[in-house]
Amino acid sequence: MLTVEIKRSLPDFKLDAAFSVDGEVLGILGPSGSGKTMTLLCIAGLLQPDYGLIKLNDRVLFDSSGKVNLPPKARNIGFVFQNYALFPHLTAGNNIAYGIRHQSRDEVNHRVQVLIKNMELDGLQNRYPQQLSAGQQQRVAVARALAPEPEILLLDEPFSALDSLTKEQLEMQILELRQFYKGHIILVTHDLVEAYRLSSRIAVYDAGKIIQCDRKDKLLSSPVNQKVARMTRFKNFMDGVITSINDKQVGVNVPELGANLQVAANGHKNLTINQSITIGVRSEHVQAVAAAGQNILRGTLNSAIENLASINCYFDLKTNTNTNYCLEAAFPKSIAPTPADGTNFYLYLPPEQIVIITDSK
Amino acid sequence: MNEYLTPLWISLKTVLVATIITFVLGIAAARWMSRFTGKLKPIIDGAFILPLVLPPTVVGFGLLLLMGKHGWVGKFLALFNTTVVFSWPATVITATVMAFPLMYMTTRGAFEQVDTNIEDAARTLGASEWRVLYSVTLPLAWPGVAAGTILSFARSLGEFGATLMLAGNIPGKTTTIPVAIYFAIQDGDMKQAVYLMIIVLCIALASLAALAYLKKPKPRDRRVIPNPVPSDILQISKKKDNPA
Repeated sequence: MLTVEIKRSLPDFKLDAAFSVDGEVLGILGPSGSGKTMTLLCIAGLLQPDYGLIKLNDRVLFDSSGKVNLPPKARNIGFVFQNYALFPHLTAGNNIAYGIRHQSRDEVNHRVQVLIKNMELDGLQNRYPQQLSAGQQQRVAVARALAPEPEILLLDEPFSALDSLTKEQLEMQILELRQFYKGHIILVTHDLVEAYRLSSRIAVYDAGKIIQCDRKDKLLSSPVNQKVARMTRFKNFMDGVITSINDKQVGVNVPELGANLQVAANGHKNLTINQSITIGVRSEHVQAVAAAGQNILRGTLNSAIENLASINCYFDLKTNTNTNYCLEAAFPKSIAPTPADGTNFYLYLPPEQIVIITDSK
Repeated sequence: MNEYLTPLWISLKTVLVATIITFVLGIAAARWMSRFTGKLKPIIDGAFILPLVLPPTVVGFGLLLLMGKHGWVGKFLALFNTTVVFSWPATVITATVMAFPLMYMTTRGAFEQVDTNIEDAARTLGASEWRVLYSVTLPLAWPGVAAGTILSFARSLGEFGATLMLAGNIPGKTTTIPVAIYFAIQDGDMKQAVYLMIIVLCIALASLAALAYLKKPKPRDRRVIPNPVPSDILQISKKKDNPA
């Protein structure tokens, strides 16, 4: 298990992160400049945190109170850099062999061959990095990082420089990597889809802090605040007040729209009547229905954008103020509204798909 | 004839030893300064480059003060009953001091061009700082390091002013080529002066040619396979990369 509790201050930035990884893939998700890469560098020993503790499988790597700070070479951590950082003057095979030490030539060759086979690099071992495609370079970088049998593998935005087709193949390869690499993995990314596909838990970073760290399904179903909700692609937010609470559903009045919505309580325990909350709905959960009723709002179709598999429609809702409220809905192409349907629609927000966000941030 | 060539042997011996010392010291200083982040950085950096901009006579005078009878180094050496002033080692010392800034500046520039991620990658793979230096930094910075070495070599060979002040002109002992040319002309011995001039011209031209060779641009298309792999293996790997 890797336990991390670190603080590091720069003049205009503060990193304050605490999390643990145990035999799984942890995704670190956040916008650029939120401290994701800095966290990895601290774990690898390439940057020194100001305070904190880093423990890997009962070995203390860094402890500001006990004055422990192992150098990178003693940490046994595999690091895959964003730009791969392959040794340009060494062949792919020698790149992979670089970290294998204290072994006979035969043992090193054997280990390199096993990694070349596992990472599907057959036939490329005598090529230099600049003679390899970006995808091949990335596989060499992963093989090189795995060669010394590290206890944890750190991947820093490993797919950011690749085209989408190569990216998908390499994502598969990282998933398959679990078959022969049993250590912990941390994957840093700014792409929710990538984090969701590859990891089991996701830590969401914002300005140097972890704002939520949860199982990936929980992260999507109950974001702790609007920032997480926006990062996990909630598109529609409404401010409201709780008017009724029963064991499964909560009544919420949205003053701006003059609407009373029923919302699934979904595990929230400490709600009170008259509490101000925000509710969020994903665009794909909005449904177009035939007639008015509970949780159904009237909207005028403003514009539509066609995506690969869906059509995003933007509806103007009637508000009590002069402001405009735009509701985004994503319909599958087969049931998307057409010009023949007119411009006025009844839009249904299913109670079980509405999330309650109590943290106003 | 043999007498004519004595300054050449002295110069070659001096330049060889001075270049080796400059090579090691220059790399050590460049390595240290390319990672150094303290407040004194500009001052230390300036001190290393100083001999390049000072008049050689000033450097020679400074060394003379330092190594003379009343200087720190001179007093220290006196304990062992030796002195460097007006001896062959003095030619090596002045040549090293005057060539050092060129080696230091060129090497430091080359080190700073090396992607720190690549060096960090070596560290995470268990490499010691020493191994990082000789297996990653030096090979990647090699063109710059070699250029610095050649420039230092040429600068040591041409060293005159400081050498004359610290080592003097003792024929057969401290008289290097530039010093010999100067005194040959003063004595009206044009033959020796021309001989030595031609030798210096040839060596200088050869080192500059070597430098130009180092800087020759690499072929643009680097995706050339030096050890062609069997075509059937290539086919398989191609398929895996582009299933479309």
